[in-house]
Amino acid sequence: METTKFIESFAEALEIEDASKISVETEFRKLDEWDSLGYLNIIAMLDEKYGIQIENVQFKQLITIEDLIRYIDDATK
Amino acid sequence: MTESSNPFSLQGKHILITGASSGIGRQCAVSCDRMGARLLLVGRNQSRLVETLRMLSGSDHDYKTTDLDKIPSTYIEDLATLHGAFDGFVHSAGIEKTLPVKFLKKTDYEEVFNTNAFSAFEIIRQLCSRRTFKDGGSIVLISSITSLIARGGVCAYAASKGAINSAVRVMALELSKRRIRVNSVSPGTILTPMMKDYLASLTDDERKKRVDGFPLGIGTSEDVANGVIYLLSDASRWVTGSNLIIDGGYTAR
Repeated sequence: METTKFIESFAEALEIEDASKISVETEFRKLDEWDSLGYLNIIAMLDEKYGIQIENVQFKQLITIEDLIRYIDDATK
Repeated sequence: MTESSNPFSLQGKHILITGASSGIGRQCAVSCDRMGARLLLVGRNQSRLVETLRMLSGSDHDYKTTDLDKIPSTYIEDLATLHGAFDGFVHSAGIEKTLPVKFLKKTDYEEVFNTNAFSAFEIIRQLCSRRTFKDGGSIVLISSITSLIARGGVCAYAASKGAINSAVRVMALELSKRRIRVNSVSPGTILTPMMKDYLASLTDDERKKRVDGFPLGIGTSEDVANGVIYLLSDASRWVTGSNLIIDGGYTAR
């Protein structure tokens, strides 16, 4: 999966204007924009864009943007 | 206290309960049974309905497996012919779709409204006949405090419950000629299986924040069922078109 494209989708879902502040190393829970609604937005985005329904238990194990990308890659193989 | 002197008794009342296969609906069945009512339980899942039935001590109850999205136009009439006219109706069937507004499509709203509101409205239409519903009967629709206060991610659910609150007032007015009362109950967070799933989706911090909002803590389905009993019983004979908030003080803040 294309990294920049995913970061754009991620930023859009969290209403982050400047996507350039996000990199693969970003621990997304530490972003200012991250809150309970942000979480719902990411879950909904993963479902709509990638057809992935992720359980909370699994999601909790994902820390960085790279973890998210790897998860999507594995799930859509 | 003898049954006749207890204003909260449901002795001799025939009550229809939707969503009786789980959560608040199931607890309403258990509580109404204890108060002496005869029940007709409605739900999607037969084995879980039978499970509810087994929790009841009365032997004259029955159940009907039903997909509420597809109620035939003679649904209630057929039930009343078979089991007798009703004195009470509790609509507890409900679904929730946690999605932020920008992801909620019309079909999502339709799905939630169909189960939470439209199915109840259709059943009430079919109850507007003396053959199916007795004069002086009571209708209770389970709403939610999200019909009154905002919470992120529950727009479709909240809107469908708001529809209930508004409809209840008009229905109460129109059906008052037959002394039929129509009310809603708005529970706060109750530990139903549906709510347990939701709470599990939150982080520890969010869960704590969520629970902290309730001065009396999180409620049980029994707390809600007791309010429903009151509204079904003759104790509330002068109460109609109202929304009974049962939320441990959440909305008082």
